[in-house]
Amino acid sequence: MLWIKNGIVIDPKNGIDGEKMDIFVKDGKIVEESEVNKNECQVIDANNKLVLAGGVDMHAHIAGSKINTGRTMRPEEMRIVRQTAGKLRASMGRVLLTSPAIGYEYAKIGYTTAVEAASPPIGSPHTHEELDAIPVVDKAALPVFGNWHPVFKFTAEKDREKLKAFIAWALERTKGFGVKVVNPGGVEAWMYGGNVRSLDDEVPNFGVTPREIITELVKANEELNLPHSVHLHCNNLGVPGNYQTTIETMKLVSGMKNDDRQVLHVTHVQFNAYAGSSWRDVASGAEEIAKVVNSMDNVTIDMGQPIFGHATAMTGDAPFQFTLHKLTGARWSNKDSEIEGGAGIVPIVYLPKNPVHALQWAIGLELGLLVDSDKVVLSTDYPNGGPYTEYPYIMAMLMSKRMREKELERVSPYVQKATSLAAIDVEKTLYEVVQMTRSLPARVLGLENKGHLGVGADADIAIYNINPAEVDPSAQYDVINAEFRRPVYTIKGGEVVVRDGAIVAETWGRTYWVDARKKVDMQAIDEDLNSFFEYYSVERRNYGVDDYWMRSPERLEVN
Amino acid sequence: MLILKPKFEFEVSVEAELTPDLAEKGLEEIRSFKVWYGKLEKSLEELFEIEMQGDEKKLVLDGDFSKVKWIGAGMSEGEIVVKGNVGANCGAYMKGGRIVIEGNADDWLGAEMKDGEIVVKGNAKNLIGCAYYGDVTGMQGGGITIEGNAGNYIGEKMAGGVIEIKGSAGDFIGTEMKGGEIVIHGDCGFVGGDMKGGIIKIGGNFDLLPTFRKAEDGWVGDVLVNGEGKIVKI
Repeated sequence: MLWIKNGIVIDPKNGIDGEKMDIFVKDGKIVEESEVNKNECQVIDANNKLVLAGGVDMHAHIAGSKINTGRTMRPEEMRIVRQTAGKLRASMGRVLLTSPAIGYEYAKIGYTTAVEAASPPIGSPHTHEELDAIPVVDKAALPVFGNWHPVFKFTAEKDREKLKAFIAWALERTKGFGVKVVNPGGVEAWMYGGNVRSLDDEVPNFGVTPREIITELVKANEELNLPHSVHLHCNNLGVPGNYQTTIETMKLVSGMKNDDRQVLHVTHVQFNAYAGSSWRDVASGAEEIAKVVNSMDNVTIDMGQPIFGHATAMTGDAPFQFTLHKLTGARWSNKDSEIEGGAGIVPIVYLPKNPVHALQWAIGLELGLLVDSDKVVLSTDYPNGGPYTEYPYIMAMLMSKRMREKELERVSPYVQKATSLAAIDVEKTLYEVVQMTRSLPARVLGLENKGHLGVGADADIAIYNINPAEVDPSAQYDVINAEFRRPVYTIKGGEVVVRDGAIVAETWGRTYWVDARKKVDMQAIDEDLNSFFEYYSVERRNYGVDDYWMRSPERLEVN
Repeated sequence: MLILKPKFEFEVSVEAELTPDLAEKGLEEIRSFKVWYGKLEKSLEELFEIEMQGDEKKLVLDGDFSKVKWIGAGMSEGEIVVKGNVGANCGAYMKGGRIVIEGNADDWLGAEMKDGEIVVKGNAKNLIGCAYYGDVTGMQGGGITIEGNAGNYIGEKMAGGVIEIKGSAGDFIGTEMKGGEIVIHGDCGFVGGDMKGGIIKIGGNFDLLPTFRKAEDGWVGDVLVNGEGKIVKI
């Protein structure tokens, strides 16, 4: 039992903005005062300190074949030793962290939940093994659907019942959390050396278009009423002029409704927000995108903010990665994951003086500033934009125009010409930033017990040495930047894991997965699956992940 | 001047980032300086006899140091004299100062060094002045002189500085070289694969790749990467 005393609480989901209050924890949950015996509580003095729910990273690449291939490709990353083995496990990595380091570093900035945003279905046993090796945080993985042959087939046949059954089957077999879509149709076209360039390009051999794939998957996802909406990495990622594709894609869901959440989450939008016609005249399309997102009540986005320094591009969008490899001349690895998707990996360094990199950096911030705080989640698309350990930097940048002005002095002047960042006066409040890192990502994912401090929520709590009554984030941005990197406490499931910025205990989180089989007729696709597996290299009975394979699975049943 | 002698014959490798800076520290601090003996963390005095003579910024390593790695790593000034053989990674990331090795050197001598001088009186092994695996730039400045012979992969991805080998060397000299100079007075194997810049001077016989074109005073290439590196016979 815990008694967190006199903390200054910001909890957007419950409308609390800087109220001094006590929080009580019992059996890993937040409870009413009457539920605990105060004499038996461990008391944490949070006087004049900021008390928040643990952070939720809804889009990061933390487990599975991509990051592991990245580690293999980048031996130089493993020279940074973060912690030698002692009471805790050894952890290493500059940007591409080892599994123990991933959990520890999240806890060290007060984050307690992280979602692997693209898991190739055939690789799901590996993804879950790696997730199980990550300490502290709660986890989930999103399998990729947008280039999976049965999805094309059922879309072409306009058989939504079968598509729904297939999604339910796939989520159960991969122990997946939701429907991820990466460059729908484009990765399949890449297997013949091509790509799709618009929403109406046909996918070779299937006679379906990205427009149909996205629309059908969103409809199926909504009819199944999964906790998370479709999670989309748009077509034409990284291509100048692509902001129009992004806007067109968002408009596909106009008129669709879900009272609890968005019906479409568009991810790492920074990479999909370029105006211009080539890398010579590329500019920001963030303003136009922000207008569209703000005008729709059923679409959310996340930033995909680049951080200057080392990063590693890794996405299920193999054709884009090939382009990036050609553009930068950097090492490249490509993976074809057997008629379900593909992936590519390219090391990258974002340099402030490089006009394109500076532009990408500015566009991420523009999106964060111009989109309403209940529609844009803070993310770096780790490790594509950079390490999530830099989230405090982004939080400070969103809150302080002065800090942005100072940073603008060191970046390429191209930014002044091609973006409006310098002219944006918006300074997000602490409340809004808490929204973007806690309550909103939890709502976007449909995780009701995350991202807030109300009774019944998981006791995932971060306490920072920031007094909102005294600190002015606009002027004291360095305090914000420093203190968000060094929580006084991070509490996971009621246990103190971080004290004064250092890990003091290792706990193990859960892995959420979604079971929607009750909503569909699983028999309907039985024959389709049998014929699918006739041409597959894994036998149907050997395919997928069973509960016993995982350390602590948590099944969320959809009714 | 700080003089170190191994107390016994090392069975496993020792990792000790010994730099001349150590000679300026107090005796207590020197004695307790952390080094690794295999997987065990040890203090310097558990493995070496320690003797101080005067306050000169100099380190004398007396005895067989062939199992001791990372000597002079990252050093920026002062001098190290090794009166014997030295282990791998000697002078890696070096920024200045001087290392003299009276015996032989192991692999990765002066890897990714930026400035300073390394002299080896005996032979050296492979990967002199190279980039570590995954890094894109090797040696960027300073000088390495080998009086004897050297092994394979000399100056891979090197971008500046001079490597001079008075004897012969092995294969793959100056692979992916971007700048600087490699001088080999004796013979060697393949040179300049994927070379973009810099110059390789060779006194004896060597193997030329077919991707170099003849120029007035030597060869230019590697044309496969539009390179402007030069190979010259001396």
